[in-house]
This record gives sequence, structure tokens and C-alpha cells, in this order.
Amino acid sequence: MAGYRAEMRRIEEDIASIGRADPLALPTDPERVTLYVYRLYQRAAIAGDSAQLSAVERAINRAIPLLANPSDLYLLKANTAFKLHKLSDVEAALRAVPSVYVSNEGRLIRADLDFQHGRYREAKRGYLGVLQAERSWGALARLAYFYGKRGDVAGADHLYEEAEDQLTAKEMRSYAWLEVQRGFLAFAHGRYGEARLHYGQADAAYPGYWLVDEHVAELLGAEGHYGQAIEILERIISTRDRPDLLQAIGELYAIAGQAERARDCHEKALDGYLQSAQRGEVLYYHHLADYYADVAKDGAQAVTWARADLQLRENYSTQAALAWAFYRGRQFGEACNWIDRALASGAVEAHLFFRTGMICTCANSIDDGRNYMERATRLNPSVEKFHLHH
Amino acid sequence: MADHNDPNAVNSIFSDIDVSAADLYDIFGFPSDDAAGGEKVVIALTFAAVPQTGVFDGDMLYRIQIAPDRRLERSGKDDGSLEGFLVYLEGVKDKYLSVLQASEVRITIDHNRRANIRFLNFPGGSFSAVVETNQAVTLQSPGGHAIKAFVGGRDDAFFNDLPGFFRSINYAPQFYHVPHAMPDLRELKIPKTFLELEGNDLFNYDPDQPEWGHGIKRELPPGPLTWSGNRFRKDENGNFRFVYSGKDARAGQNCNAIILELPLTFLTERPSEHRVVNTWGESWVLKAAAKVETIPDHPLWIEHPHVLLTTLALDDELKKYKLVDTDGQAFADAALSEREDNRQLGANNFWLAPHFIRRLGHLGWGFGPSITALGLASAFDHDNSPVSVHRTYSHVMDAFPRVRKILFQELNMPDDSWNRKGLPIPLRRPVDIFIPNVNSIDMDTTGTWPFGRRLEDQVATRFLSVFLDMGATLNGKRYHVELLNDPTLWNSAPIEPKTPPNPLKNDKAFLPDFPYLAEPW
Repeated sequence: MAGYRAEMRRIEEDIASIGRADPLALPTDPERVTLYVYRLYQRAAIAGDSAQLSAVERAINRAIPLLANPSDLYLLKANTAFKLHKLSDVEAALRAVPSVYVSNEGRLIRADLDFQHGRYREAKRGYLGVLQAERSWGALARLAYFYGKRGDVAGADHLYEEAEDQLTAKEMRSYAWLEVQRGFLAFAHGRYGEARLHYGQADAAYPGYWLVDEHVAELLGAEGHYGQAIEILERIISTRDRPDLLQAIGELYAIAGQAERARDCHEKALDGYLQSAQRGEVLYYHHLADYYADVAKDGAQAVTWARADLQLRENYSTQAALAWAFYRGRQFGEACNWIDRALASGAVEAHLFFRTGMICTCANSIDDGRNYMERATRLNPSVEKFHLHH
Repeated sequence: MADHNDPNAVNSIFSDIDVSAADLYDIFGFPSDDAAGGEKVVIALTFAAVPQTGVFDGDMLYRIQIAPDRRLERSGKDDGSLEGFLVYLEGVKDKYLSVLQASEVRITIDHNRRANIRFLNFPGGSFSAVVETNQAVTLQSPGGHAIKAFVGGRDDAFFNDLPGFFRSINYAPQFYHVPHAMPDLRELKIPKTFLELEGNDLFNYDPDQPEWGHGIKRELPPGPLTWSGNRFRKDENGNFRFVYSGKDARAGQNCNAIILELPLTFLTERPSEHRVVNTWGESWVLKAAAKVETIPDHPLWIEHPHVLLTTLALDDELKKYKLVDTDGQAFADAALSEREDNRQLGANNFWLAPHFIRRLGHLGWGFGPSITALGLASAFDHDNSPVSVHRTYSHVMDAFPRVRKILFQELNMPDDSWNRKGLPIPLRRPVDIFIPNVNSIDMDTTGTWPFGRRLEDQVATRFLSVFLDMGATLNGKRYHVELLNDPTLWNSAPIEPKTPPNPLKNDKAFLPDFPYLAEPW
């Protein structure tokens, strides 16, 4: 079964072959330019490498003026900006070409934007609208995610399953990605055995995929196999810059009672987050909020970063992060205020309810606190166990 | 690194999916000239030579469906009204329910590059065989029928001026870099035509770059991608410029092929009644889930046992595959279905009939006036328009009166050689040919198109003859399906280049014996 390494090797070969003579030098061949930039994007996106994605963004900006009809590049630009959490750039890229804006791909990204901005009704309408036109696996997966976040786990899994049925043997990476989503859906509800089966299926379909390994490590960590989890995560970060995984390794060391190693990892994670922010990147803002709230236990800093993230995209997740930051700063009134907003979204998540329970309890709403804790535990009996900050 | 769902992490804006082994090219079918041992029919399904000529993709499954039947009898009550047409379609649909329950030959390739050929549900028996690829073999059915089979690489038997066809329909991706996100810019809103339009600089032949459109593409220019002229282009000698070159775009290229020669008695218990062998091909790609080893206690089946029950009710093998392409009648996909994925229905294309009518109306407004300009008579009612017109139809009722004659006229044959036995076999009409989308091989004919499809048929040009008025005459002879293939017609026409639209023969001679298609390059 060809997997991650084989695909990356093919992409590298393509890049080398197309890039032998500078594809962006004049006179340009539009198809060669588009394919070259697309391959760069693929390499970065499949590797989950934010530094490479930033480089792709620059390559796209360089290539766009070279083409008379750069609509495909604007679509790539929107995708790239989305991965880097530059949501205003996503919108601008989609609006640059009317045909991109109204295309199915454009509509799906716009629905994703709606989701990120907390416009859930519009997001759902967007997904359903595209599905009416084309029952693509990407649209099905997005709607599945939406349902999962609204608490319809069976509905979400059914849609993921339908998405898988769209895929052929030529799309094993996409199939593995969907199996990971199904596994995570099970994991988030404490069904570890089911999660393991899905992760196993993903690994069999597309061996060597870091995304699968990352989720397997999370599962092992939740099950108390800290050493194995750390080993896998360290292997992943050996080839890419992932401060969020360094933080996770630190948390695993901390749980395992290795405080010094934990501290070392956490310092490196923070360093990575802050360097990213200094470069003008925004994709680690929510990790910074989590870090200051849960690792450094610095409420003021947590609020600062949570607010920064919320200014980019106000949704139940960023509202809950801000509430948690206020909680850490012992500003329970503000915390209640923001967690109420998050709950009003209709999101159904064990971690959201758990944090709500903690906040309510500290804000002297003991019954509410108990109620939310029970709801959290009903959704996921293992809600307090180790998890990654996705 | 992201806290949101992100299918884009793996989704692509371009097709990553290398399914070109699923790209069916043609299905040929004709009665074998070899009468020894009884009547036999030859069926050849060709498709892209991927990963290589003679090497097959192990994720693919090919099906050749076969349904012998009585010859379609035409009622004297057939009328040319839309209502009559719909009644006719209903009748054909009912009749072709037999087609939809066809017997089939199913082919997959194993890891040792051998072909697994299964003959399923034939009156002559079901059986399977594993054969070496790229070798002609003779298989024995349980009932003793000798069946010839070849699964391997061949010279592509299609000979056609594909860029000419694309120029005739102003298909931009052949000539321009058309972004994926701009599907509206594929067939541009310019009249379709056989003759170049004056001022149609977007598509007219460029003597300074003769290879343009033959692998060389340009950037789409800014501005409206339309045409605002009002006449066909003529050169200084008063000649029109043909959009076709007559050159074989597939010259020197190969295909992979499944070729069978089957006794009629294996296909039907009533060979004397079932004189027409309907056939079509399908390509299927293995689903991702089936590629992975099945996990016995899969949670889906534990929690949703109904899924397993439903699945078991289906064909055990096909449930693991996804249908990609179908091929029955030449040009049914390329010209009439516009290559859309959701129109890959094979024989069961009855619901596409309204679309066919609207599409024929659209094509007729383009091709009809260019036929008339050449001094020929067109079956399309274009109100004597002096030049091709870009017109589309939303409603069947508006298009139908224009295309009625095209649909219902009999397609004359150039002579009687097609009717080997001199039987009272009615000439075929376009309405008979394209719905359902099958290759209907009449065993009492030579199998030349539209009574099947022989390898040597220049079917692309014969398809264009559908737009001629078959009631008209030229030099005292009725128009016929070979008229536009006649070089003398073009030699005397006011046109350059003076060539039939498409090459008259294949780049490599066909073989007199099985497997008939020429050796690969």
C-alpha cells in the first residue's frame, strides 16, 4: 500500500521536474505555473507544515500577476490563508474572482468561514447548498463535522461514512483522513476501542501519515501510555515545527511526573508560539490562550491571546477559550458571561461542558456546575483525561 | 495545528485522482466474418493505456454487458410529434428492460498481471478463466462454446481529428488554459460550426502557429469571449475555411483493450430470433474502503447491522467499486452528453432524452447553417439562417420542432453492402441509435455503423451526417452516412483545406483475424 512517504516523494519529484527552470520566470506557461504552485501547496498541506504554507502564500502572490486568468491560484490562496487562520485574506481571495466566489469550492470555503465566525445557520445552509449541487466527499465531511459539533454523533458518523463511499482506491489519503475524523469523533466521546479501529484503518489505508500517528498518540496518552505517546509525538516533531505538539509532550511528561522535562518542552513550545506571533502569524493564538491558561496559569496573558483570537473569529470555541482565560484570572463574572455565549451557539462538546461546570462552580452556581459536569461526563466519561489541543 | 475541521488539508482544488485507466475510448462491435462453427460477434472495448500499454491498473474492473434481443420493429403508427416521441420512448424503455438485465463479461487484473475474465449469466453458462495479458487465447465454456479473448495493449483503433471537433464546438480547454474554477468557459458561447466564422479569432486557424490546439495552449484573452460577426469567413478566392483538418489526432498512440469473439449461441438460446446483440462497456474503480483489508469487527457493522444486510443484498463484488465511465454509442457522450459525470448511465439513459433534444437543437443551429452554406441540405430547421447561430433551449417543446427531422429521418447507407442477406431491415434513425446508449449489432448486417460499429468505420464523420437531410440528393443519389467522407465532395466544394473532416482510415492497418486491432506502437 503506497502511503505518505511515497506520495510526498512523488510530489517532490514533480516539484523538482517542473522547477528545473524557474516556472515563474517570463515567459510563463499558465498550466506549468499553476501546477507548480499547486504542488508546493500540496506538499505543505499534506505535511501540515505552517512554515511551508507561508512560503506557498508568497509563491502564490508572486504567480498571480503572471497569469491572465489566475482564478485557480486565488482558490489556492483562499485555501492557504484558511490553513494559516488568515480569515480576512480568505474572504478577499474568494472575492477577487466572481467565478471562484460562486464555485462549489468557493461556497464550501465561505461556509467554513461562516462556521469560524459563529454564523452556524449560514454555514449549514452553505454546506447543504453545495451538497444539493454535488454530493462531494469534502462537502459531506464538512457537514459531518458540523453535526458532530452540534451533538449529532450518529448523524456525523453516517455522513463521514457516506463521504468515504465516494472515494476510490486512488484517494487513500482522503480515506485515511476521514477515518481519522471518525476515530476522533469516537475518542471525543470516550469510545477508545472504536477510535483505535478507525485509526488502524487509516494507517492501513495510508501508512506513515503523521496525522494518524498524532491521533494515535493522543489516544495512547488518554489511556495512560505516556511513554509511547511521547515517543510518537517526538518522532512527528523531529521533521516539522509544531510547538503545539511540544506543549502536548510537556503535558504528558507532567502527567508522568517528569517535571523537568515537562518544563523544558513547555518553554520550547512557548518560544515557538511567540516566534510565530512575532512573524505576524495568527495560527497559534488559540494555543497561546490555552498555554497561558492551562500550563503557565497566567490569566492575564491568557485573556490577551484569547481576545486576539476572538477578534479574528468569534465562535463558540474562541468564546469558551476567553471564558476559560477569565476563569484562570479568577474573573468569574466575565467567565460566566463568555461561557454563556459559547453555550448559546448550540455546541455540544464534553470539554465545553466541563469548563462550564468548573466556571459555574467557582461562580457559586453549584447546581449548574454539577449539572454541566454531569453532562460532560455523560458525553465523554473520560473527559478529564489527556487530549491534544486541536 | 488547527482547531477546526479542515477537509482542505487533504482536499484538492484539482483532481488528484488518476482514474485515466477508467477512461473508456470506444466499444466496437460487429458480426465476425469467420463463420466457421456458427455465427460469432466481435466486441472490443478500448480504454486509456494506463499505467502503460499492455499493463493494467489492478484497481480497475471492466464490464462488457451484452443483451441479445429481437430487432426493434418500427410501427407504422410512429408519428413525429413530441407526444408520439414520448410514447415511443416509453415503448423502447419497456422493451429495453431486457437490456438492463444483461449478461456480462467482467474483467479484473491480478497482481501477477493476469486477467481474470468472468462470463456471468449467459445462456451458454457462467464460468471464469485466468489468462495471460497481451495474448490471444481461446476459452471453452461449460457448454463447449469456443470464445476468443484478448486483454492487452493495441494501437488505438480510433482515427479522428479531435482538435477539429473541438474547434467546431468552440471548446476552449483544447486551445486555452481554462482555470478549473471557470467551468463556464469550456464550451464558449460562440456558434458551433463546420466553417470558420469571420472574425472568430478565438478559434480560427492561425497560420503563424499551426500547432495551436494540438498540445499548445494560449492564455484566454481578456474581454468578452464571444463572437459578434455575421458571416462565415472566406479567403481571397471565396473559399470557406474548414474547422477540420482531416488529420488523425490519435496517430501513433495506443490503448489497452478487451477484445472478445463470442458465438451467438453462447449469448442467446434463440439465435434465430435474437438478431441484434446490444452491448455497452463500463469502467469501475475500486473504492478506498475495499482497498483496505476488512476489519471483521468493524464498529459500523456492530452498531448498524442494517448496513451489512443492505450490502449483502448487492453484488458482492460491484459493491466494492465505483462506476466511472460508460461507453455504448459513439459520440453519445462527447457530443450529446457533454461528458458530464452524472450522465454516465450506459444503456439506462432514457431520462436524458429531453436533454438530447435540447442539445441537438443547440448543435443544429450551429451545424445546420454551415451545411447549407456548403450547398448541402440540412435536416435541421434553421429558418434559412445564412450563418451559424449560438442558441440554447430551456424547453424541449421549443427545440423539438427544429430537430424533429433529425430525430426521425432514416440514415441512408451508401449502398446495400451493409445488408448482407438482403433482408427487410429498416434503416436506423438517430432516435433509434442514441437512446438507449448501446451499440446494437445487427447480426444480419456487416455491423457497419449504425448497425454496430466496425473498426474501419469513420464514425466521427458519420455522426456529422446526422445533420444532413437524408431526403435530399446529390448527383442523383440520396444523401447517406458516408457522404461527408467522400473526398470528391470536398474537392468540388468552396472550402479549404479540401479534405473530409476526419481521416478515412486508421494509422495502422487492422488485422484480418482475431484480435483484429493492430499491434501497439
